[in-house]
Amino acid sequence: MSSANAREGILATLRAGLAAAPLSVPAPPARPASLSVGPDAWALLAAVLEPLEVRLRLAATPAEAARHVADIARERGAASYARWADLPAAAEMDAALAGLTRLEPNPSGCCQALARADLGLTFAQAALMDSGSLVLVAGPQRPRSVSLLPPTHVCLVPRAGLVADVSALPELLRRHAAASGAFPQGLLPSCLNLITGPSSTADIELVLVRGVHGPGALDVVGLDWDLE
Amino acid sequence: MEINPRDFREQSEKACHDATLRAVLDHATRYFQAKRGAALETFADRETHFARARAARLAALSRLPELLEQLEQTATAAGTRVHWAADAAQAREIITGIAQDCGAKVVVKGKSMVTEEIALNPALEAAGMEVWETDLGEFIVQLAGEPPSHIIAPCIHKSRADVAALFRAKLGLLGLSGLDGLPGQENLSDAASIPELTLLARKALREKFLAADLGVTGVNIAVAETGSVILVENEGNIRMSTTCPPVHVAVMSLEKVAATLEDAADILRVLPRSATGQKMSSYVSVLTGPRRPNEQDGARETHLVILDNGRSEVLAEPILREALLCFRCGACLNSCPVYQTIGGHAYGSVYSGPIGALLSSLLLPAQDTRDLPFGCTLCGACKRTCPLGIDHPRLMLRLRERVCQSSGTGLAGAAHSFLALHPLFYRLAVGAARAVDPNLDLLPRLPGFPGLANFVDTRQPPELKKPFSAQLLRLRKKQARTKKPHTNKGDA
Repeated sequence: MSSANAREGILATLRAGLAAAPLSVPAPPARPASLSVGPDAWALLAAVLEPLEVRLRLAATPAEAARHVADIARERGAASYARWADLPAAAEMDAALAGLTRLEPNPSGCCQALARADLGLTFAQAALMDSGSLVLVAGPQRPRSVSLLPPTHVCLVPRAGLVADVSALPELLRRHAAASGAFPQGLLPSCLNLITGPSSTADIELVLVRGVHGPGALDVVGLDWDLE
Repeated sequence: MEINPRDFREQSEKACHDATLRAVLDHATRYFQAKRGAALETFADRETHFARARAARLAALSRLPELLEQLEQTATAAGTRVHWAADAAQAREIITGIAQDCGAKVVVKGKSMVTEEIALNPALEAAGMEVWETDLGEFIVQLAGEPPSHIIAPCIHKSRADVAALFRAKLGLLGLSGLDGLPGQENLSDAASIPELTLLARKALREKFLAADLGVTGVNIAVAETGSVILVENEGNIRMSTTCPPVHVAVMSLEKVAATLEDAADILRVLPRSATGQKMSSYVSVLTGPRRPNEQDGARETHLVILDNGRSEVLAEPILREALLCFRCGACLNSCPVYQTIGGHAYGSVYSGPIGALLSSLLLPAQDTRDLPFGCTLCGACKRTCPLGIDHPRLMLRLRERVCQSSGTGLAGAAHSFLALHPLFYRLAVGAARAVDPNLDLLPRLPGFPGLANFVDTRQPPELKKPFSAQLLRLRKKQARTKKPHTNKGDA
C-alpha cells in the first residue's frame, strides 16, 4: 500500500469512527488571568531563574550590559565566542570581548564551527515571567546553534520583552510572522526555542546534571532601557 | 531483547521477586511524585489549566480528520514533506527510504516512544546505517541492548556502576578519537561520578551529532493551523538532532495534533509540570518547515510522518478513545501500585504502566495483550493523577469485557448464570460433578466444553467435607481410644 492509499484509508476510518460515535467537546473554562507585568517584573524573573541556577544581571546602559557579558566570559573562562549578528549593543559587546576570539558561523559547517566556541551570545524576543523561559527566534543573522553548542550561553533580554507566560506565545509568533519581511507571508519563523535554564538530565540515578548536550551554564543580562 | 506482552504474567511474577528492581522503582516513583506534587502545589488555577489542556486534546480528537488534512496542507506550504503511514512496516519503509535518498550513514535520534513502537532502529541498521539514541537514558539502554523502562526516565533501573561498566565495555565501539581531560572509557572505574559519566556521553554523542546525516525525532504537538511541530525536552539532544544534520524526520502518532497555537500553549502549560515537575522543560522547540534562505543552520529538508498503526480504529470506540487524549507525561506510571511493583519491562511493550496497558491493548494484536487489562487493581490512582482526566479504570474494565467476550467462556458462562439463578439445579449439577470429580480437576479437561478451562481456571472450589464413611471411621477410632481406660461405658 502506498502512502497515498494510506492517507485515504486513515482519513476514511477516522471519519467513519466519528460518524458512528460523534464526539462533542464541552466548552472549556476561561483561561485564568495571567500575571501582570509591572515594575517588579525583573525581580519576578530573577526569582524564577534562581532555582534554575541562572543569574539575572541588570544593565541600564549598553556599556553596562557589555561589562556584564565580559564579566561572565571571564568567570566562565571563555577564550572564544560566537554571537548573533544583529544583537542590540553589538559594537559594545565586541569591544568588551576584544580579548576573546570571535568565531563566525559559516553556512557550510555552522555547527562544526560553533562547536569550538566557549560562549554563545544571543538575544531573546521575550522572556516568560511565569517559568523563566527565554524566547529565541532563529533567523538569517541568528543561527540556532549559538544558544546550543557552546558550554556557556549568555542571553540578552530587553525590558519590552517581559511577558507573563506561555499563553503570550501564539500572539508573539503571529506578530513575528506578519512583521518580518524575511519570511514569506503568514509563515512562522523556521525555529522558535523556549529556553528554560541550562541543559539538564537526571537519567542516571535521578541525579540532576547540568550541561548534557546543550550549555551547562546559562546567564541572562536584562537590558533595562528602551530599545528603539 | 525479544519482548512481548504475552509474557506479562510471567514477567510481572519475576519482577515482583526482584528486590533490587523494587528498591529502584520505589525510589524513582517517589522522586517523580514528590517533584510533581511540589510543582502542582504552587500551580495557580491548576484545575482550570488541566481542563483547558483536556479541552484542547478533546477538540483535536473531535476534528481529527480535518485537522490532519489541514496540518498536511500547512506543513507542505512551510516546505515540509508529509507522509502517511498506515502501520509500523509502512512507517519504517518511508523513513528508511528518506534516509537512503539522502545517503545517510549516521542517524541521530531524539527520544521518541513512537519510533520505539515502530521498531525503527533495526530497520535503519539493516539498511547499513549507524543509528544513535541521543537522550542519555535511551543511549544507555541502547548500549545495554534493552528497551526503555519508563516513558520519562528510560534507564531508571540502572545504577551508576552499571552505567560505568557499560561505558567501559561499549564506548570503545563508538570509535572516539580522543577523550582529552577525561578518563578513557577503558579504565573508567565503577566509582566514576554521575557528572563524569554524563560528560563522557556528551563527548561521545557530540561527535555523532556533528557527523550525522539525518536526525529523527518524535513529535509532542503538531499545530494544524501553522504546520509546526513542537518538541519538548531537557537535554538539548532533540535540538541538536534538528539543528545539525541536513535532514530532519519527525514521526508523529496521528492523535498528537492540536488545532491552534493557543491549544498548543494550553498543553505546554500542563505537560512539563505533570511530567517532571518543571514549570517548563529546558527546551521547547517550535519548528516550522526547513531552514529559510540565508539561514545558517537547521535542517535543509524536513519530513513529517503521520502514523496510524491502529489508532484510527479506536476513534469509533466511545469509551476507549479516551486513551488517545494522552500526551505521555508519565504521571500515571509513577502513581500506579502495579507499576511501582513490577516496573516497565514486565509490560512487554514500549508503553508501560496504566496508560501503557491501555495503549498496548488497543494497538497490538488482541491475543498478545489479553492479560494486560487484568494487571490492574482498579484503585484509580492513575485517574486521579492524570491531568487530562483520562478514566483509566473505566477503560480497563471495558477492555476486560472485550477480552472475556472474545475468550470463549461463552457456553460455560451461560451455563453458570443459569445454574446460579436456579439453586436446585446448581446443587444437583455440582453434587453430580463432585461425586465423580471431588476436586474438580478433571472437569476443565473434558473435551467438548469450549471455554470451561478458562472458566474453572480462575475459580477455586471450596474444600469438600470428608465423606460420611471417613467421618464414621474417625469417630470409631476416637471411640476406641476413649474406651480403653474405661470399660463398658456406653457412648452417645
